[in-house]
Amino acid sequence: MTAYRREESANLAVFERILSQCERRVLRVALRLLNNPQDAQDAAQEVFLRLYKHLGRIDEARGYEAWLFRVTVNVCRDMARARRRSVALEEAADPASAQADAYQEAARAQQREMVRRGLARLGGKERAALVLRDVEGLSTREVAAILGTTENTVRSHICSARLKLREFTSRWLRRRV
Amino acid sequence: MSCAKFEADVALYAGGDLPAERVAHVESHLAECADCRALLDELCAEKTLLTEMRDEPLEEAMVAHVHRRVLAEVAPAQPAPAQPARLYWKLALAAALLLAVVLAWPRHHRVQAPLVAQVPPPSVAPAPPQPPVVRVSHRVARHRRRAPVRKPGPPLLVQFVTDDPNIVIYWLIDQQTQGD
Repeated sequence: MTAYRREESANLAVFERILSQCERRVLRVALRLLNNPQDAQDAAQEVFLRLYKHLGRIDEARGYEAWLFRVTVNVCRDMARARRRSVALEEAADPASAQADAYQEAARAQQREMVRRGLARLGGKERAALVLRDVEGLSTREVAAILGTTENTVRSHICSARLKLREFTSRWLRRRV
Repeated sequence: MSCAKFEADVALYAGGDLPAERVAHVESHLAECADCRALLDELCAEKTLLTEMRDEPLEEAMVAHVHRRVLAEVAPAQPAPAQPARLYWKLALAAALLLAVVLAWPRHHRVQAPLVAQVPPPSVAPAPPQPPVVRVSHRVARHRRRAPVRKPGPPLLVQFVTDDPNIVIYWLIDQQTQGD
């Protein structure tokens, strides 16, 4: 086996390891940003193909995850722009609904669905900041690095997103009552 | 209704994003303002729901689908490694064939060359006893000149045939002096 082949095989092994470790997280972020399972799968696939292409050029010391999040946000933003498709709220999957047989669980699922719909109504930057910060639990600094902006800007997006989401859920609950 | 000027700070405070120097100020306001406390409760509940989304199970079929599609795209770029033993056998066989062709080629060439030289001499040969006449083209003659004549013998008559049938060039070669 040549040195080139050995390097290729090693790259593939590293890639498969990262794919297995991060695919769920990337898919979840894509799902929250696009709110459409099919689009999220396409986005996740594109993210990992880009990872394979740039594998040798990514700074391992900084970790692959931040790179993956950054690319996920970019891919989802580009995909949303290109397709010019309104978020398919009615088609959005609700993974918890199938299990919601008890009343309490159903109420919880309903609240989650409400938050999902609220998220889908946010602007791209606000949604990305909120998903990375509150859903994925990244620090403000990490979110700023991923989005390529300052911590103050991230705080501004997060603050605005939380208040808009709360406004949406309040109106939604009032309509239900 | 919460206080408008505190809304942004309460929203940041709910997620632990408020800069440390403003935390005390907001907390003292929250202690006095019921509306802002209600807002904080709503924002905290919302944050809990968002955090729970992280633990929502993804459909394994979705994950597997992405995994499969990604590897299908990447795998063709990876040529299957050739098995070394099989590769060596192929190389050995190719080398043996090449060697056989190289060894067979000069012998075959030597057998063919005399056929050109054994053309019977023409009746117009000038001197008795008649030396062997070799009718060769320019290319063959050059080759013959390079090849050393092993056995000295009678002079060799080389007949050059030109394009004009009326012009024939004869070249008489003393093999004893031309040898080496």
